[in-house]
Amino acid sequence: MRIKNWAGPVIFFALLFVPLLSPEGYYYRTLCMIFLWVGLASAWNLTSGFTGYIDFGAVGYFGIGNYATALFMTRANVPFFLSIVISGILSGLIAIFIGRYTMKLRGAYFGIATLAFAEAAKQIVLEFDRTFKVRFFEGSHGITLPIAHNEVFFYYTFLVAVSTVVFLVFVINRSKFGYALKAIKEAEDSAELAGINTRRYKVSVYSLTAFLIGIFGGINAYWSTYISPLDVFSVLHTINMIIMALFGGTGTVMGPVVGAFVLSVANEVIGSRLLYTWLLTLGVILLVVVVFLPRGITGSLSLKRFKR
Amino acid sequence: MSLFVQALVTGLLMGGVYAAYSSGFSLIFGVMNIVNIFHGELIMIGAFSTYWMFSLYNIDPFLALPVSIVSVGVIGYIVQRVLINRVVEAPPMISYLCTFGVHLILSNLALLLWSADFRTVTTSYSGVGFGVGPITIPIARLVTFLIAIATTYGLYLFLEKARFGKAIRAASQDKEMARLLGIDIKKVYALTFGLGAAITGLAGGLLSTYFVIYPQMGLPYTIIAFCVVVLGGMGYIPGALLGGLLLGILQSLTATYLNSGLSVAITFILLFIILIAKPQGIVGKGIVE
Repeated sequence: MRIKNWAGPVIFFALLFVPLLSPEGYYYRTLCMIFLWVGLASAWNLTSGFTGYIDFGAVGYFGIGNYATALFMTRANVPFFLSIVISGILSGLIAIFIGRYTMKLRGAYFGIATLAFAEAAKQIVLEFDRTFKVRFFEGSHGITLPIAHNEVFFYYTFLVAVSTVVFLVFVINRSKFGYALKAIKEAEDSAELAGINTRRYKVSVYSLTAFLIGIFGGINAYWSTYISPLDVFSVLHTINMIIMALFGGTGTVMGPVVGAFVLSVANEVIGSRLLYTWLLTLGVILLVVVVFLPRGITGSLSLKRFKR
Repeated sequence: MSLFVQALVTGLLMGGVYAAYSSGFSLIFGVMNIVNIFHGELIMIGAFSTYWMFSLYNIDPFLALPVSIVSVGVIGYIVQRVLINRVVEAPPMISYLCTFGVHLILSNLALLLWSADFRTVTTSYSGVGFGVGPITIPIARLVTFLIAIATTYGLYLFLEKARFGKAIRAASQDKEMARLLGIDIKKVYALTFGLGAAITGLAGGLLSTYFVIYPQMGLPYTIIAFCVVVLGGMGYIPGALLGGLLLGILQSLTATYLNSGLSVAITFILLFIILIAKPQGIVGKGIVE
């Protein structure tokens, strides 16, 4: 356990000095991509991994973050950092509203309701302009953002964001809040009987996840300079978060980090070569993990040590 | 007025198609509590079975339906037997991630084998309809509508009356008791999945005669099936028919009077509202976790 606690800060400090090596643009992009996925998978894990409520609509908040930042920056000339914070808060507020209703549902019903939310959000952004004859979301044309900053800027932005998320999960994991969330996963009814206001905890963590995903959405919008509803609201993003978190091990701090890291590197190395069979491979990986390693790689590796 | 009636008729017939491919989803959920994410792929394989029978051997799609039924039924049986039976006792999250993995595998395998091309089954009666006053009724959709009603009713009768149907219901109501009474649960599960898949394959074969088919078509169908089944009540078989018709009419009216993209948004908003306000479906006979 002690080694694990050291690993985080050591990796963080090592990553701080990466730009000194002045790597090529490709490596910056790959590292930013990895940070993005580690952040998203960790944020998803905070709600779904800890409470066991599997959110199939997490991409909804990613899309909202992307669009909010794009609109604030292009329409109102709000500075980037302020834009992403507002986008995060907006996502979090929407999640409080959505969560108040969806968090009453259990199991598959929660999954379907959140999926419906994300798909509805996508369709609204896609069809709003055409239906009401205005120019706001720009429909399927998407929005182009200004190109201003260099790779180093995005590298540090992503690094700070992802470190904050992982540190937050680390803190929550050992806090009373974290124990309450785990109690909800293990036995929600008993947790309620024990005096935990489960609904408030569930909505809080759901909103926190949405806030974090919204911020990553905002960074993504500026980083990729062009966004469209079909891309940023793609259900494939949710699926990636789920598979990455599950692959590494849900409900742990390091699981989603390891899972997202391994799978994004695999996607970069193998995915670009096996363009047509990558999703197929992902399906096989998912089945193997689900049927043979349901605790994820980190869980299965540490199973021996922690077995009581 | 005739625009409204036409929209209503189109919606009703569309609803029949929805009902046809959703009852299998409802059956599988009702018995095993599994949300089958590769449901759309079963439809796709059913549609491709008829397509290949038609384009390779020139067999009429309606005569090729048994091929769709058998091929998809066998796939469903095997997947349940080999894979899902291993995780059926695990937390629900595991089982739906498992069906999700199968979704990725089937849709991408189909993409590799058959390429991403859009295909159609064009027969002599494709697009042919008959007029009743100012209203046009497409024949192929009418036939699907009738078969959907017959299948749903047949499935309902089977579950109520047949000996095996009773075993399925017993397994879904009280697993432990059914096991004590000597019912082989895993076998019942595999056969139920096979039955649900076979019905879905039939629907897939039917809709290939008037919809464009392609390997990646599955996921939207799965989502519509969710919506239909939630509307009618999860696991309540006649509910699939009711939910299908309702959704069909609603979508057709929005597409006629607003725009077709918005009808998808309305579908999801409706799904969301029903889940929150009345998760047991509009007639209140669905299963709630």
